[in-house]
Amino acid sequence: MKSSFAIALNTFKETIRDRVLSVIVVFALAMIVASLWLATISLEQQARMMKDFGLTAVTLFGLVVAVFAAGNLVRKELEKRTVFFIFSKPVGPAQFIVGKFFGLALTVFLVVLGMGVFLFVVTWLVAGDAAGSVLLATLLIYFQVVVVMAVTVFFSTFASAILSSVLGVCVFIAGQLSHNVLSLTRLGEGEVLKALSWVVFIAIPNLAAVDAKPSVVGEGSIAWGQTALWLGYLIAYMIVALLAASWVFRRKEF
Amino acid sequence: MLRRVLLVLTFVVCALGVVGYQATRPEKGASSPRVFVPSAQFFRDFSPSFRTTIADAYWLRTVQYYGEHASGDRQFDSLWPMLDLVTRLSPHFVRPYRFGAFALLDAGRADLSYELLKRGHAANPDEWALLTHLGFFAYMYGSTADKDVVAAEWYQKASELPGAPEWAGRVAARLLVKGGERQKATIQWAQVYGDGDQYSRERALAELDRLLPADPAARQREVAALREFMSADSFRDFSQALLDGTL
Repeated sequence: MKSSFAIALNTFKETIRDRVLSVIVVFALAMIVASLWLATISLEQQARMMKDFGLTAVTLFGLVVAVFAAGNLVRKELEKRTVFFIFSKPVGPAQFIVGKFFGLALTVFLVVLGMGVFLFVVTWLVAGDAAGSVLLATLLIYFQVVVVMAVTVFFSTFASAILSSVLGVCVFIAGQLSHNVLSLTRLGEGEVLKALSWVVFIAIPNLAAVDAKPSVVGEGSIAWGQTALWLGYLIAYMIVALLAASWVFRRKEF
Repeated sequence: MLRRVLLVLTFVVCALGVVGYQATRPEKGASSPRVFVPSAQFFRDFSPSFRTTIADAYWLRTVQYYGEHASGDRQFDSLWPMLDLVTRLSPHFVRPYRFGAFALLDAGRADLSYELLKRGHAANPDEWALLTHLGFFAYMYGSTADKDVVAAEWYQKASELPGAPEWAGRVAARLLVKGGERQKATIQWAQVYGDGDQYSRERALAELDRLLPADPAARQREVAALREFMSADSFRDFSQALLDGTL
Protein backbone atom coordinates (compact mmCIF):
# COMPACT_ATOMS: atom_id res chain seq x y z
CA MET A 1 0.00 0.00 0.00
CA LYS A 2 2.75 2.38 1.04
CA SER A 3 4.85 1.54 -2.00
CA SER A 4 1.84 1.94 -4.33
CA PHE A 5 1.24 5.36 -2.83
CA ALA A 6 4.89 6.35 -3.36
CA ILE A 7 4.76 5.17 -6.99
CA ALA A 8 1.46 7.02 -7.51
CA LEU A 9 2.88 10.24 -6.10
CA ASN A 10 5.97 9.94 -8.22
CA THR A 11 3.92 9.18 -11.36
CA PHE A 12 1.68 12.16 -10.65
CA LYS A 13 4.66 14.50 -10.29
CA GLU A 14 6.20 13.11 -13.45
CA THR A 15 3.06 13.28 -15.64
CA ILE A 16 1.80 16.66 -14.45
CA ARG A 17 5.11 18.21 -15.57
CA ASP A 18 4.80 16.75 -19.06
CA ARG A 19 4.90 19.54 -21.64
CA VAL A 20 2.79 17.58 -24.11
CA LEU A 21 0.05 17.53 -21.49
CA SER A 22 0.20 21.32 -21.14
CA VAL A 23 -0.02 21.76 -24.91
CA ILE A 24 -3.09 19.49 -25.11
CA VAL A 25 -4.78 21.29 -22.22
CA VAL A 26 -4.12 24.72 -23.73
CA PHE A 27 -5.50 23.46 -27.04
CA ALA A 28 -8.60 22.07 -25.27
CA LEU A 29 -9.21 25.39 -23.51
CA ALA A 30 -8.82 27.16 -26.86
CA MET A 31 -11.43 24.82 -28.32
CA ILE A 32 -13.84 25.65 -25.48
CA VAL A 33 -13.28 29.35 -26.11
CA ALA A 34 -13.82 28.71 -29.84
CA SER A 35 -17.30 27.38 -29.01
CA LEU A 36 -18.14 31.02 -28.20
CA TRP A 37 -17.95 31.70 -31.90
CA LEU A 38 -20.28 28.79 -32.71
CA ALA A 39 -22.67 30.13 -30.12
CA THR A 40 -22.98 33.44 -31.96
CA ILE A 41 -24.46 31.76 -35.04
CA SER A 42 -26.92 29.59 -33.14
CA LEU A 43 -29.93 31.96 -32.96
CA GLU A 44 -29.83 32.82 -29.26
CA GLN A 45 -28.83 29.33 -28.13
CA GLN A 46 -25.45 30.43 -26.76
CA ALA A 47 -25.51 28.59 -23.41
CA ARG A 48 -26.69 25.32 -24.95
CA MET A 49 -24.05 25.36 -27.71
CA MET A 50 -21.25 26.27 -25.31
CA LYS A 51 -22.14 23.53 -22.84
CA ASP A 52 -22.72 20.83 -25.44
CA PHE A 53 -19.66 21.45 -27.61
CA GLY A 54 -17.59 22.28 -24.53
CA LEU A 55 -18.38 18.93 -22.87
CA THR A 56 -17.59 17.11 -26.11
CA ALA A 57 -14.21 18.88 -26.16
CA VAL A 58 -13.63 17.87 -22.52
CA THR A 59 -14.41 14.23 -23.41
CA LEU A 60 -12.21 14.07 -26.48
CA PHE A 61 -9.22 15.91 -25.03
CA GLY A 62 -9.52 14.06 -21.74
CA LEU A 63 -9.46 10.84 -23.74
CA VAL A 64 -6.40 11.93 -25.73
CA VAL A 65 -4.50 12.82 -22.56
CA ALA A 66 -5.53 9.59 -20.83
CA VAL A 67 -4.79 7.07 -23.59
CA PHE A 68 -1.50 8.55 -24.73
CA ALA A 69 -0.20 8.95 -21.20
CA ALA A 70 -1.45 5.46 -20.22
CA GLY A 71 0.15 3.88 -23.31
CA ASN A 72 3.51 5.21 -22.17
CA LEU A 73 3.00 4.58 -18.48
CA VAL A 74 4.47 1.08 -18.20
CA ARG A 75 6.35 1.04 -21.52
CA LYS A 76 8.54 3.96 -20.53
CA GLU A 77 9.60 2.22 -17.33
CA LEU A 78 10.44 -0.92 -19.30
CA GLU A 79 12.35 0.90 -22.03
CA LYS A 80 14.29 3.08 -19.58
CA ARG A 81 14.89 -0.02 -17.48
CA THR A 82 13.87 1.85 -14.35
CA VAL A 83 11.51 -1.03 -13.68
CA PHE A 84 14.50 -3.14 -12.58
CA PHE A 85 15.37 -0.54 -9.98
CA ILE A 86 11.76 -0.48 -8.73
CA PHE A 87 11.55 -4.27 -8.52
CA SER A 88 14.81 -4.44 -6.60
CA LYS A 89 12.75 -2.90 -3.76
CA PRO A 90 9.93 -4.76 -2.00
CA VAL A 91 7.38 -3.83 -4.67
CA GLY A 92 5.13 -6.35 -6.42
CA PRO A 93 3.83 -6.08 -10.02
CA ALA A 94 0.30 -5.37 -8.78
CA GLN A 95 1.50 -2.56 -6.50
CA PHE A 96 3.51 -1.15 -9.38
CA ILE A 97 0.57 -1.18 -11.82
CA VAL A 98 -1.88 0.21 -9.25
CA GLY A 99 0.54 2.93 -8.18
CA LYS A 100 1.29 4.00 -11.75
CA PHE A 101 -2.41 3.96 -12.63
CA PHE A 102 -3.58 6.05 -9.69
CA GLY A 103 -0.79 8.56 -10.19
CA LEU A 104 -1.92 9.10 -13.76
CA ALA A 105 -5.59 9.01 -12.72
CA LEU A 106 -4.92 11.96 -10.41
CA THR A 107 -3.25 13.90 -13.22
CA VAL A 108 -6.15 13.17 -15.58
CA PHE A 109 -8.59 14.14 -12.82
CA LEU A 110 -6.95 17.57 -12.51
CA VAL A 111 -6.87 17.99 -16.30
CA VAL A 112 -10.52 17.01 -16.84
CA LEU A 113 -11.73 18.92 -13.79
CA GLY A 114 -9.73 21.97 -14.88
CA MET A 115 -11.38 21.88 -18.30
CA GLY A 116 -14.83 21.37 -16.72
CA VAL A 117 -14.40 24.28 -14.30
CA PHE A 118 -13.12 26.46 -17.14
CA LEU A 119 -16.20 25.57 -19.21
CA PHE A 120 -18.46 26.27 -16.23
CA VAL A 121 -16.89 29.70 -15.66
CA VAL A 122 -16.91 30.65 -19.36
CA THR A 123 -20.58 29.62 -19.71
CA TRP A 124 -21.43 31.54 -16.57
CA LEU A 125 -19.59 34.71 -17.62
CA VAL A 126 -20.59 34.73 -21.27
CA ALA A 127 -24.09 33.25 -21.29
CA GLY A 128 -25.05 34.02 -17.68
CA ASP A 129 -25.84 30.35 -17.07
CA ALA A 130 -24.18 28.92 -13.96
CA ALA A 131 -25.02 25.29 -14.67
CA GLY A 132 -23.73 23.02 -11.90
CA SER A 133 -24.73 20.09 -14.11
CA VAL A 134 -21.67 20.90 -16.25
CA LEU A 135 -19.46 19.92 -13.31
CA LEU A 136 -21.46 16.75 -12.70
CA ALA A 137 -21.19 15.83 -16.39
CA THR A 138 -17.44 16.48 -16.18
CA LEU A 139 -17.18 14.02 -13.30
CA LEU A 140 -19.03 11.35 -15.29
CA ILE A 141 -16.75 12.03 -18.28
CA TYR A 142 -13.77 11.50 -15.96
CA PHE A 143 -15.02 8.06 -14.97
CA GLN A 144 -15.47 7.10 -18.63
CA VAL A 145 -11.99 8.29 -19.47
CA VAL A 146 -10.39 6.59 -16.50
CA VAL A 147 -11.90 3.22 -17.48
CA VAL A 148 -10.46 3.56 -20.97
CA MET A 149 -7.18 4.47 -19.29
CA ALA A 150 -7.24 1.25 -17.24
CA VAL A 151 -7.80 -0.79 -20.40
CA THR A 152 -4.96 1.06 -22.13
CA VAL A 153 -2.66 0.25 -19.19
CA PHE A 154 -3.66 -3.40 -19.62
CA PHE A 155 -2.74 -3.26 -23.33
CA SER A 156 0.54 -1.53 -22.53
CA THR A 157 1.70 -4.52 -20.49
CA PHE A 158 2.11 -6.55 -23.67
CA ALA A 159 1.91 -4.10 -26.63
CA SER A 160 3.90 -1.07 -27.74
CA ALA A 161 2.96 2.38 -26.41
CA ILE A 162 1.45 3.61 -29.67
CA LEU A 163 -0.48 0.39 -30.28
CA SER A 164 -1.84 0.49 -26.72
CA SER A 165 -3.00 4.08 -27.19
CA VAL A 166 -4.67 3.28 -30.52
CA LEU A 167 -6.36 0.27 -28.94
CA GLY A 168 -7.49 2.50 -26.07
CA VAL A 169 -9.17 4.87 -28.55
CA CYS A 170 -10.80 1.86 -30.24
CA VAL A 171 -12.14 0.66 -26.88
CA PHE A 172 -13.61 4.13 -26.29
CA ILE A 173 -15.39 4.02 -29.67
CA ALA A 174 -16.53 0.43 -29.11
CA GLY A 175 -17.76 1.41 -25.66
CA GLN A 176 -20.03 4.01 -27.27
CA LEU A 177 -21.51 1.28 -29.49
CA SER A 178 -21.92 -1.35 -26.80
CA HIS A 179 -25.72 -1.50 -27.18
CA ASN A 180 -25.34 -2.34 -30.90
CA VAL A 181 -23.37 -5.44 -29.97
CA LEU A 182 -26.21 -6.38 -27.64
CA SER A 183 -28.60 -6.11 -30.60
CA LEU A 184 -26.33 -8.47 -32.53
CA THR A 185 -26.50 -11.02 -29.74
CA ARG A 186 -30.28 -10.99 -30.11
CA LEU A 187 -30.37 -10.96 -33.89
CA GLY A 188 -27.56 -13.48 -34.47
CA GLU A 189 -28.62 -16.48 -36.54
CA GLY A 190 -26.13 -19.08 -35.38
CA GLU A 191 -25.55 -20.01 -31.75
CA VAL A 192 -21.79 -19.51 -32.14
CA LEU A 193 -22.23 -15.97 -33.46
CA LYS A 194 -24.70 -15.23 -30.69
CA ALA A 195 -22.29 -16.49 -28.05
CA LEU A 196 -19.39 -14.58 -29.61
CA SER A 197 -21.42 -11.36 -29.71
CA TRP A 198 -22.35 -11.89 -26.07
CA VAL A 199 -18.68 -12.26 -25.09
CA VAL A 200 -17.79 -9.08 -26.98
CA PHE A 201 -20.69 -7.25 -25.35
CA ILE A 202 -19.49 -8.27 -21.90
CA ALA A 203 -15.84 -7.53 -22.66
CA ILE A 204 -16.38 -4.00 -24.00
CA PRO A 205 -16.94 -1.34 -21.32
CA ASN A 206 -20.42 0.10 -21.64
CA LEU A 207 -19.62 3.80 -21.82
CA ALA A 208 -22.95 4.94 -23.26
CA ALA A 209 -25.35 3.57 -20.64
CA VAL A 210 -25.60 6.97 -18.95
CA ASP A 211 -24.99 10.31 -20.60
CA ALA A 212 -25.21 13.54 -18.63
CA LYS A 213 -24.98 15.84 -21.66
CA PRO A 214 -28.71 15.73 -22.52
CA SER A 215 -29.61 16.80 -18.98
CA VAL A 216 -27.04 19.61 -19.13
CA VAL A 217 -28.72 21.03 -22.24
CA GLY A 218 -32.23 20.58 -20.88
CA GLU A 219 -33.08 17.24 -22.50
CA GLY A 220 -34.51 15.44 -19.49
CA SER A 221 -33.03 14.86 -16.07
CA ILE A 222 -30.36 12.60 -14.63
CA ALA A 223 -31.59 9.22 -13.38
CA TRP A 224 -29.61 9.10 -10.15
CA GLY A 225 -30.17 5.41 -9.48
CA GLN A 226 -29.04 4.42 -12.97
CA THR A 227 -26.05 6.74 -12.74
CA ALA A 228 -24.93 5.30 -9.38
CA LEU A 229 -25.28 1.75 -10.72
CA TRP A 230 -23.32 2.66 -13.84
CA LEU A 231 -20.53 4.27 -11.79
CA GLY A 232 -20.33 1.10 -9.70
CA TYR A 233 -20.06 -0.91 -12.92
CA LEU A 234 -17.28 1.36 -14.28
CA ILE A 235 -15.29 1.08 -11.04
CA ALA A 236 -15.66 -2.72 -11.09
CA TYR A 237 -14.56 -2.78 -14.76
CA MET A 238 -11.55 -0.64 -13.90
CA ILE A 239 -10.53 -3.02 -11.09
CA VAL A 240 -10.85 -6.02 -13.41
CA ALA A 241 -8.71 -4.30 -16.08
CA LEU A 242 -6.03 -3.39 -13.52
CA LEU A 243 -5.96 -6.89 -12.04
CA ALA A 244 -5.64 -8.35 -15.55
CA ALA A 245 -2.81 -5.90 -16.26
CA SER A 246 -1.05 -6.93 -13.02
CA TRP A 247 -1.46 -10.61 -13.90
CA VAL A 248 0.06 -10.14 -17.37
CA PHE A 249 2.82 -7.98 -15.94
CA ARG A 250 3.63 -10.58 -13.26
CA ARG A 251 4.21 -13.20 -15.96
CA LYS A 252 6.78 -11.00 -17.71
CA GLU A 253 10.39 -11.94 -17.25
CA PHE A 254 12.71 -9.12 -16.31
CA MET B 1 25.80 34.88 -43.50
CA LEU B 2 24.75 33.99 -47.05
CA ARG B 3 23.19 30.79 -45.71
CA ARG B 4 21.14 32.70 -43.20
CA VAL B 5 19.95 35.18 -45.85
CA LEU B 6 18.96 32.25 -48.08
CA LEU B 7 17.04 30.62 -45.25
CA VAL B 8 15.18 33.84 -44.41
CA LEU B 9 14.46 34.41 -48.10
CA THR B 10 13.15 30.85 -48.50
CA PHE B 11 10.96 31.31 -45.45
CA VAL B 12 9.54 34.62 -46.70
CA VAL B 13 8.89 33.26 -50.23
CA CYS B 14 7.18 30.12 -48.90
CA ALA B 15 5.11 32.10 -46.36
CA LEU B 16 4.02 34.51 -49.10
CA GLY B 17 3.13 31.53 -51.26
CA VAL B 18 0.98 30.02 -48.50
CA VAL B 19 -0.80 33.31 -47.79
CA GLY B 20 -1.14 34.12 -51.50
CA TYR B 21 -2.67 30.74 -52.32
CA GLN B 22 -5.35 31.02 -49.65
CA ALA B 23 -6.06 34.70 -50.31
CA THR B 24 -6.71 34.09 -54.01
CA ARG B 25 -9.17 31.22 -53.54
CA PRO B 26 -12.55 32.08 -55.08
CA GLU B 27 -15.33 32.62 -52.57
CA LYS B 28 -17.43 29.53 -52.05
CA GLY B 29 -20.86 29.86 -53.59
CA ALA B 30 -24.07 28.78 -51.89
CA SER B 31 -24.22 25.05 -51.37
CA SER B 32 -26.63 22.91 -53.32
CA PRO B 33 -30.21 23.08 -52.00
CA ARG B 34 -30.10 19.28 -51.79
CA VAL B 35 -27.61 18.04 -49.26
CA PHE B 36 -27.19 14.63 -47.74
CA VAL B 37 -28.81 14.41 -44.32
CA PRO B 38 -28.37 11.08 -42.49
CA SER B 39 -31.31 9.62 -40.61
CA ALA B 40 -31.77 10.33 -36.91
CA GLN B 41 -31.82 6.59 -36.28
CA PHE B 42 -28.33 6.28 -37.74
CA PHE B 43 -26.95 8.75 -35.21
CA ARG B 44 -28.98 7.26 -32.36
CA ASP B 45 -27.47 3.85 -33.14
CA PHE B 46 -23.89 4.90 -33.74
CA SER B 47 -23.24 7.71 -31.34
CA PRO B 48 -25.80 7.74 -28.53
CA SER B 49 -23.51 9.66 -26.16
CA PHE B 50 -23.10 12.47 -28.67
CA ARG B 51 -26.78 12.67 -29.65
CA THR B 52 -27.28 16.27 -28.49
CA THR B 53 -23.90 17.38 -29.83
CA ILE B 54 -24.81 16.08 -33.28
CA ALA B 55 -28.23 17.75 -33.00
CA ASP B 56 -26.51 21.04 -32.15
CA ALA B 57 -24.02 20.68 -35.00
CA TYR B 58 -26.90 20.09 -37.40
CA TRP B 59 -28.79 23.00 -35.86
CA LEU B 60 -25.90 25.31 -36.74
CA ARG B 61 -25.81 23.74 -40.21
CA THR B 62 -29.58 24.30 -40.58
CA VAL B 63 -29.30 27.99 -39.67
CA GLN B 64 -26.41 28.36 -42.10
CA TYR B 65 -28.29 26.47 -44.83
CA TYR B 66 -31.38 28.62 -44.37
CA GLY B 67 -29.34 31.84 -44.38
CA GLU B 68 -27.45 30.86 -47.54
CA HIS B 69 -30.55 29.97 -49.51
CA ALA B 70 -32.83 32.69 -48.13
CA SER B 71 -30.46 35.28 -49.52
CA GLY B 72 -29.70 33.23 -52.64
CA ASP B 73 -31.73 30.84 -54.76
CA ARG B 74 -34.58 30.42 -52.21
CA GLN B 75 -34.54 26.66 -52.71
CA PHE B 76 -34.94 24.82 -49.41
CA ASP B 77 -35.12 21.16 -50.45
CA SER B 78 -33.15 19.88 -47.46
CA LEU B 79 -34.60 22.18 -44.81
CA TRP B 80 -37.23 19.70 -43.65
CA PRO B 81 -34.83 16.70 -43.41
CA MET B 82 -32.43 18.86 -41.38
CA LEU B 83 -35.12 20.09 -38.99
CA ASP B 84 -36.49 16.57 -38.74
CA LEU B 85 -33.05 15.25 -37.81
CA VAL B 86 -32.38 17.95 -35.20
CA THR B 87 -35.76 17.58 -33.52
CA ARG B 88 -35.63 13.78 -33.49
CA LEU B 89 -32.14 13.75 -31.97
CA SER B 90 -32.99 16.46 -29.46
CA PRO B 91 -36.80 16.52 -29.03
CA HIS B 92 -36.73 18.94 -26.08
CA PHE B 93 -34.69 21.55 -27.98
CA VAL B 94 -37.51 24.06 -28.54
CA ARG B 95 -35.89 26.66 -30.76
CA PRO B 96 -35.70 24.48 -33.91
CA TYR B 97 -39.48 23.94 -33.81
CA ARG B 98 -40.17 27.66 -33.57
CA PHE B 99 -37.57 28.75 -36.10
CA GLY B 100 -38.27 25.81 -38.39
CA ALA B 101 -42.02 26.46 -38.53
CA PHE B 102 -41.45 29.94 -40.00
CA ALA B 103 -38.49 28.92 -42.13
CA LEU B 104 -40.55 26.14 -43.74
CA LEU B 105 -42.99 28.81 -44.96
CA ASP B 106 -40.24 29.94 -47.30
CA ALA B 107 -40.11 26.41 -48.65
CA GLY B 108 -43.86 26.67 -49.25
CA ARG B 109 -44.54 23.90 -46.73
CA ALA B 110 -46.92 25.33 -44.13
CA ASP B 111 -48.25 21.78 -43.71
CA LEU B 112 -44.82 20.66 -42.49
CA SER B 113 -44.62 23.71 -40.21
CA TYR B 114 -47.82 22.59 -38.52
CA GLU B 115 -46.58 19.00 -38.37
CA LEU B 116 -43.28 20.11 -36.81
CA LEU B 117 -45.04 22.24 -34.21
CA LYS B 118 -47.42 19.44 -33.28
CA ARG B 119 -44.45 17.14 -32.76
CA GLY B 120 -42.75 19.85 -30.71
CA HIS B 121 -45.86 20.24 -28.56
CA ALA B 122 -46.08 16.46 -28.01
CA ALA B 123 -42.47 16.44 -26.74
CA ASN B 124 -42.76 19.70 -24.79
CA PRO B 125 -46.33 20.04 -23.52
CA ASP B 126 -45.38 22.85 -21.12
CA GLU B 127 -44.08 25.21 -23.81
CA TRP B 128 -46.82 27.75 -24.37
CA ALA B 129 -44.99 29.37 -27.29
CA LEU B 130 -45.39 26.19 -29.36
CA LEU B 131 -49.14 26.32 -28.72
CA THR B 132 -49.46 29.96 -29.78
CA HIS B 133 -47.47 29.10 -32.91
CA LEU B 134 -49.85 26.20 -33.54
CA GLY B 135 -52.78 28.59 -33.20
CA PHE B 136 -51.14 30.98 -35.62
CA PHE B 137 -50.47 28.30 -38.25
CA ALA B 138 -53.91 26.73 -37.81
CA TYR B 139 -55.54 30.06 -38.54
CA MET B 140 -53.22 31.53 -41.17
CA TYR B 141 -52.62 28.41 -43.21
CA GLY B 142 -55.58 26.22 -42.30
CA SER B 143 -58.03 25.47 -45.08
CA THR B 144 -60.99 24.13 -43.14
CA ALA B 145 -64.12 26.14 -42.37
CA ASP B 146 -63.58 25.83 -38.64
CA LYS B 147 -59.99 27.07 -38.64
CA ASP B 148 -60.96 29.92 -36.28
CA VAL B 149 -62.19 27.41 -33.73
CA VAL B 150 -59.14 25.13 -34.13
CA ALA B 151 -56.77 28.10 -33.75
CA ALA B 152 -58.72 29.44 -30.76
CA GLU B 153 -58.38 26.06 -29.06
CA TRP B 154 -54.59 26.16 -29.40
CA TYR B 155 -54.47 29.70 -27.98
CA GLN B 156 -56.81 28.71 -25.17
CA LYS B 157 -54.54 25.77 -24.26
CA ALA B 158 -51.53 28.12 -24.33
CA SER B 159 -53.27 30.61 -22.00
CA GLU B 160 -53.81 27.86 -19.42
CA LEU B 161 -50.10 27.10 -19.08
CA PRO B 162 -48.02 28.77 -16.37
CA GLY B 163 -45.99 31.67 -17.69
CA ALA B 164 -48.17 32.18 -20.76
CA PRO B 165 -48.77 35.82 -21.71
CA GLU B 166 -52.18 37.32 -21.01
CA TRP B 167 -52.77 38.08 -24.67
CA ALA B 168 -53.01 34.36 -25.54
CA GLY B 169 -56.49 34.23 -24.01
CA ARG B 170 -57.44 37.49 -25.71
CA VAL B 171 -56.39 36.16 -29.13
CA ALA B 172 -58.48 33.04 -28.50
CA ALA B 173 -61.50 35.18 -27.68
CA ARG B 174 -61.04 37.40 -30.75
CA LEU B 175 -60.84 34.41 -33.05
CA LEU B 176 -64.21 33.17 -31.87
CA VAL B 177 -65.86 36.55 -32.49
CA LYS B 178 -67.21 37.13 -35.99
CA GLY B 179 -64.97 39.56 -37.79
CA GLY B 180 -62.98 40.32 -40.90
CA GLU B 181 -60.21 37.95 -42.01
CA ARG B 182 -57.78 40.84 -42.38
CA GLN B 183 -58.30 42.04 -38.85
CA LYS B 184 -57.81 38.54 -37.43
CA ALA B 185 -54.68 38.07 -39.54
CA THR B 186 -53.35 41.37 -38.22
CA ILE B 187 -53.81 40.17 -34.64
CA GLN B 188 -52.05 36.91 -35.48
CA TRP B 189 -48.98 38.61 -36.89
CA ALA B 190 -48.94 41.09 -34.00
CA GLN B 191 -48.70 38.21 -31.49
CA VAL B 192 -45.95 36.61 -33.59
CA TYR B 193 -44.07 39.90 -33.29
CA GLY B 194 -44.76 40.15 -29.54
CA ASP B 195 -43.41 36.71 -28.82
CA GLY B 196 -40.93 36.04 -31.61
CA ASP B 197 -37.21 36.10 -32.15
CA GLN B 198 -35.53 38.59 -34.44
CA TYR B 199 -36.26 36.55 -37.54
CA SER B 200 -39.99 36.11 -36.91
CA ARG B 201 -40.32 39.75 -35.85
CA GLU B 202 -38.90 40.90 -39.16
CA ARG B 203 -41.27 38.59 -40.94
CA ALA B 204 -44.26 39.80 -38.90
CA LEU B 205 -43.42 43.44 -39.65
CA ALA B 206 -43.20 42.74 -43.37
CA GLU B 207 -46.57 40.96 -43.35
CA LEU B 208 -48.22 43.66 -41.25
CA ASP B 209 -46.86 46.39 -43.49
CA ARG B 210 -48.71 44.65 -46.32
CA LEU B 211 -51.91 44.04 -44.33
CA LEU B 212 -52.32 47.43 -42.65
CA PRO B 213 -53.87 50.37 -44.53
CA ALA B 214 -51.46 52.75 -46.21
CA ASP B 215 -53.35 55.83 -45.00
CA PRO B 216 -51.33 57.09 -41.96
CA ALA B 217 -54.35 57.93 -39.75
CA ALA B 218 -56.10 54.59 -40.39
CA ARG B 219 -52.82 52.72 -39.91
CA GLN B 220 -52.17 54.49 -36.62
CA ARG B 221 -55.64 53.51 -35.36
CA GLU B 222 -55.16 49.86 -36.24
CA VAL B 223 -51.64 49.69 -34.81
CA ALA B 224 -52.90 51.24 -31.54
CA ALA B 225 -55.55 48.50 -31.32
CA LEU B 226 -52.78 45.87 -31.34
CA ARG B 227 -51.32 47.16 -28.07
CA GLU B 228 -53.09 44.50 -26.04
CA PHE B 229 -51.27 41.65 -27.81
CA MET B 230 -47.72 42.41 -26.67
CA SER B 231 -45.66 43.92 -23.88
CA ALA B 232 -45.11 47.69 -23.59
CA ASP B 233 -41.47 47.40 -24.69
CA SER B 234 -42.33 45.31 -27.72
CA PHE B 235 -45.16 47.63 -28.68
CA ARG B 236 -42.89 50.69 -28.60
CA ASP B 237 -40.52 49.18 -31.18
CA PHE B 238 -43.42 47.66 -33.07
CA SER B 239 -45.35 50.89 -33.53
CA GLN B 240 -42.20 52.80 -34.31
CA ALA B 241 -41.30 50.40 -37.09
CA LEU B 242 -44.77 50.36 -38.61
CA LEU B 243 -45.59 54.06 -38.30
CA ASP B 244 -42.27 55.73 -39.02
CA GLY B 245 -42.03 54.25 -42.48
CA THR B 246 -38.71 52.63 -41.63
CA LEU B 247 -39.68 49.30 -43.18
